[in-house]
Amino acid sequence: MFLENFFDINAIIYTYPLLLDGFLLTVKLVAVIVPAGIALGTILALIYALGGWFTKAGFILYVDTFRSLPPLVLLVFIFYGLPFLGIQLGSFASAVLALVLNGSSYYAEIVRAGIVAIPKGQWDAGRATGLTRFQTIVYIVLPQAVRNVVGPLLGNTLELTKATSICSVVALPEFLRTAQIAQSHVYNPTPLVFVALVYLILLWPLARLVSRLERGIATH
Amino acid sequence: MEQIQYYYFNLPIMRDALPTMLHGLGLTVLMALTTVAMGVGAGLLLAILRSYPSRWIRWPIICFVDVFRSLPQLVIIILIYFALPYAGIEFSPFWSTVLGLSLVLAAFAQESFWAGITATPRGQWEAATATGLSHTATVLFVILPPAIKTSIPSLTNRIIAVTKGTALGSAVAVQELLAHAQSIQSVVANPSPLTLGALLYMAIFAPMVAFSRWLEWRYRWSR
Amino acid sequence: MTSAPVLQISDLRKSFGSEEVLKGVNLTVQRGEVVVLLGSSGSGKSTFLRCINRLEEPTSGSITLNGNSVTASNANLRTLRKQIGMVFQSFNLYPHLTALKNITLALRLSLGQTRQAAEEQAKHMLAQVGLAEKAHAHPSELSGGQQQRVAIARALALEPQVMLFDEPTSALDPELVGSVLEVIRLLRQRHMTMVIVTHELGFAREAADRIIMMDKGEIVEEGPPEQLFTAPKHPRTREFLKHFTGR
Repeated sequence: MFLENFFDINAIIYTYPLLLDGFLLTVKLVAVIVPAGIALGTILALIYALGGWFTKAGFILYVDTFRSLPPLVLLVFIFYGLPFLGIQLGSFASAVLALVLNGSSYYAEIVRAGIVAIPKGQWDAGRATGLTRFQTIVYIVLPQAVRNVVGPLLGNTLELTKATSICSVVALPEFLRTAQIAQSHVYNPTPLVFVALVYLILLWPLARLVSRLERGIATH
Repeated sequence: MEQIQYYYFNLPIMRDALPTMLHGLGLTVLMALTTVAMGVGAGLLLAILRSYPSRWIRWPIICFVDVFRSLPQLVIIILIYFALPYAGIEFSPFWSTVLGLSLVLAAFAQESFWAGITATPRGQWEAATATGLSHTATVLFVILPPAIKTSIPSLTNRIIAVTKGTALGSAVAVQELLAHAQSIQSVVANPSPLTLGALLYMAIFAPMVAFSRWLEWRYRWSR
Repeated sequence: MTSAPVLQISDLRKSFGSEEVLKGVNLTVQRGEVVVLLGSSGSGKSTFLRCINRLEEPTSGSITLNGNSVTASNANLRTLRKQIGMVFQSFNLYPHLTALKNITLALRLSLGQTRQAAEEQAKHMLAQVGLAEKAHAHPSELSGGQQQRVAIARALALEPQVMLFDEPTSALDPELVGSVLEVIRLLRQRHMTMVIVTHELGFAREAADRIIMMDKGEIVEEGPPEQLFTAPKHPRTREFLKHFTGR
């Protein structure tokens, strides 16, 4: 009976097209949000590194604001709140905007921390050979910084990927949402279990990798 | 400009919404505290257990951690609330959310503590063993105190990340802050309650984020 | 009349993977004897020492302490380890505990003493190593030499049958070495049985009852200090002590 309820193959076969669409939409979301988040975050970190105290304070304000706000609240605000100003973003665009704002602030913080940890000597060497501050950052400091923070960058990417599931709340038919819809069609929790298993199988390797990188050792 | 004030910072509406929203805030805070207590407690226990040399203890723990780091928080909460009843296990919306978040926090907390434990120099273990201390005594009195101190920065960030998930409770009809904000907003057809909700959330989390920044600053200068 | 030896080690072997680091070492240590192990790095002397209380697990061979087997599979390691005191090269003091608490921890948890009795004992031990006034200092407030002396007090507090020293002064600045050697000399006067791995050749010559020269996992020569220092028999011993010019 347990198996029947939770692992009903027929339920999957029946709802398969729906679930596949949901899966693809999630993939699409991730494919848009992660690069945009990393790009925006890196730009913000560069602005921080090149700017004066005012810019730096602005950065901290921006980043900490989005770190203090649950992404779902931001999403709801954008999706239900912005239309009052005449800005009607669909659920997909709202989702992308919310998660890029949220994700980029974390990415920005990670890259910033990486940049700040690069010894001053690197900057000195770049400037002493006639490079501008911008060139020094882009060619000398940033590459080293990014290499050092690959762990946290991957970790945040994992978190962002998981966060796409909150978009189900604004009825965006991503993977979790389609599972819930499927469940209501077959009166059976199998679609939910199936979706959970798919998330698990696909994200487990990344989670494992992030764990190892975080501990900085290559063995268990 | 005036429009923005009318729609997003409509003070009369916010004032009227405040009592209900404070109610929701209280529930959010309650969920957060419960989650932290359960999650960090469980995480610490798991990290301690993981230090014992038996693979029958370690592997299940590693499995647990991997599972709850791979699954999205909302998926876990939905599974608990909508799927478990088919197995005869029913949790209220509140407990579905808290349980789901606690499991995730336990996994993250375990990782933080474990990183602290494994960073302890081998010599500490050896010195304790050489004086005949049992494994349990060694872990509790020699290894853990410094390890916990080391894990606080990463633990703080994890706690912030997971407790923000209390907002997900609104998806399973927990009457917490976001849920109230949304329902009032739809009634008055004005998003100011959402603004108020956002500000109240930030009131909870900004201090935690500031604390985490302070820790990072302190760590940088006391090395 | 000879009493039973404190330590009896037979045919001790240790391999790390396919590399055999100890190739059948035999050693008998009598009560009150001070044995010094010499050898270059890689000779296996530290590994040998660490096998005695099974911080390293011997691959084969037997070790007995006062007639009790240390290597038997049913040996009560915790009990046996309380009878073997170990002092490490890197001190390994617990950084979050004061000097006093570093010592009382094992007294209370391993020996079950009350807090009062443990503190009495700990203070007594600290006085013996000349650090009574540092009881409430944390390791970070102590010099290397002081830390090592606290570590010695910590090992001594359990009143072991034998003390093992694994290069106790190698991590110390030269001017601090003397204070630690002084404590070891004191223990010798009190007839503590000791096995010491060290590079301090002058000290070895003066304090050892017997010197053991190890090379590539085997004992190549042993004998009283005067014999090894003035008339070494084995080429390895000769080579090792060649550069030592006294003091």
